[in-house]
Amino acid sequence: MTTLKIALTGIVIIVVASTSYAGPVSDKQGLTLDGAKKVIAATVAEAKRVNVPGGSIAVVDEGGNLLALERLDQTFAASANIAVGKARTAALFKKPTKVFEDVIKSGRTSMVTLGGDLQNFTPLQGGIPLEWEGMVVGAIGVSGAASAQQDEELAIVGAKSLDSMEMAGLTNGNAPLPVTYIESQTVAASFARGAVLVGEGENMMHAARNYMVHASHRDKAGVVEIHEFDTDIVYVLKGSAILITGGTPVGTQTIAPHELRAPTVNGGERRKLVPGDIVIIPNGVPHWFKDVEAPFDYYVVKVGSGREKREER
Amino acid sequence: MLCSMIGAMALVAMMAGAALAQLVNKTVLTLDGAKKIAAAAEAKAKAEGARVVIAVVDDGGSLLLLERLDDTQVASVNVGIDKARTAAIYRRPSKVFEDQVRSGRVAALALHGAVPLQGGVPIIVGGKVIGAIGVSGETPGQDEGIAMAGAVVAASFTKQ
Repeated sequence: MTTLKIALTGIVIIVVASTSYAGPVSDKQGLTLDGAKKVIAATVAEAKRVNVPGGSIAVVDEGGNLLALERLDQTFAASANIAVGKARTAALFKKPTKVFEDVIKSGRTSMVTLGGDLQNFTPLQGGIPLEWEGMVVGAIGVSGAASAQQDEELAIVGAKSLDSMEMAGLTNGNAPLPVTYIESQTVAASFARGAVLVGEGENMMHAARNYMVHASHRDKAGVVEIHEFDTDIVYVLKGSAILITGGTPVGTQTIAPHELRAPTVNGGERRKLVPGDIVIIPNGVPHWFKDVEAPFDYYVVKVGSGREKREER
Repeated sequence: MLCSMIGAMALVAMMAGAALAQLVNKTVLTLDGAKKIAAAAEAKAKAEGARVVIAVVDDGGSLLLLERLDDTQVASVNVGIDKARTAAIYRRPSKVFEDQVRSGRVAALALHGAVPLQGGVPIIVGGKVIGAIGVSGETPGQDEGIAMAGAVVAASFTKQ
């Protein structure tokens, strides 16, 4: 009995020792520049969607040091440093910066003195920690949008995009994704206004893969589109349109990386699309939906045939 | 009468001329342009295995874009921005001031807003400085080479 007790005590000691002794060093996940750029890209996409007047977006590592920053055109210059400050504050305290703004507003004014020791302490709404597998790996700060509230909303979108990347297993690129099921009502609502079904928003986790799905809707003619990397696989559901493919676009402009648009095209092939038709438009081929008989609804699977190449650039 | 009409016309003409002189067209670096410059610098840095911060500022020296490549010393963030700002607001490579200090003009250390450290290069379009790129993290010469690789991309820039 005594022997057993001693043995048990020994086991307990071993167990305690193995859980409390972490060793002289430990592993820690760190945000990469690539990860930071993706967070910024998701935030900029949202900023453009909600039509912000401007915005600076900063991503810092867990030590509060700047990893990447972008200031949108026309945004006031001071916002760059404010965005860095918000991100730094959120990272170093592992808290949204709104917490500090609220505490100070509710009377604890002495909190502003934290700025004395902490370089660039910015207790203003718009900084959100970035988490990976439950650990804070950095933070995002946004400044220069329409309001402090909007700054924070954008920062949250950026932070969520990292959650989606975690789900997508971006670290190894091969982690299994959850099955995505989109119910008919949501699909119908997406077609009613035209929306990205997969690859953005709540289905952002697919963005790391080489495909997207669009529920496309047109009431009138579009412009000539050229996707340098994306092949469009189109299935027509409703209405009709004349599709011009190929030809020579006139007045081409780059609207986003690897995305070109033009108001018109010389020559090209002309087809009338009706419900039930399928058309595959390879990447690099100009295409134009004109003479639309509304509502023209079509399901598009976009396959990024050169997406690996894109990442290398 | 005729005289006063001519006088009035001359006055109108002068006012119109004056109004034109009140504003000047300026070429501005966009975020898209900054990204292209940074991408070229990043490509060169990666080819050399360099660990650097790449900062792009506008013509007022304010940050437009920054990238810290993986494993770069964090102190380079501020140094990179400082170099870019120096090149932008003094409209010359920051190396100019480092050379001045080295050759004995220690007073160059007192220049407001400048860091006399090689690695900041102006971005020039149509003969005008529209911004600058600053690189920090490796040796002064390598930093400047990477910054140059970015700045030269501006030669291909056209206004939309």
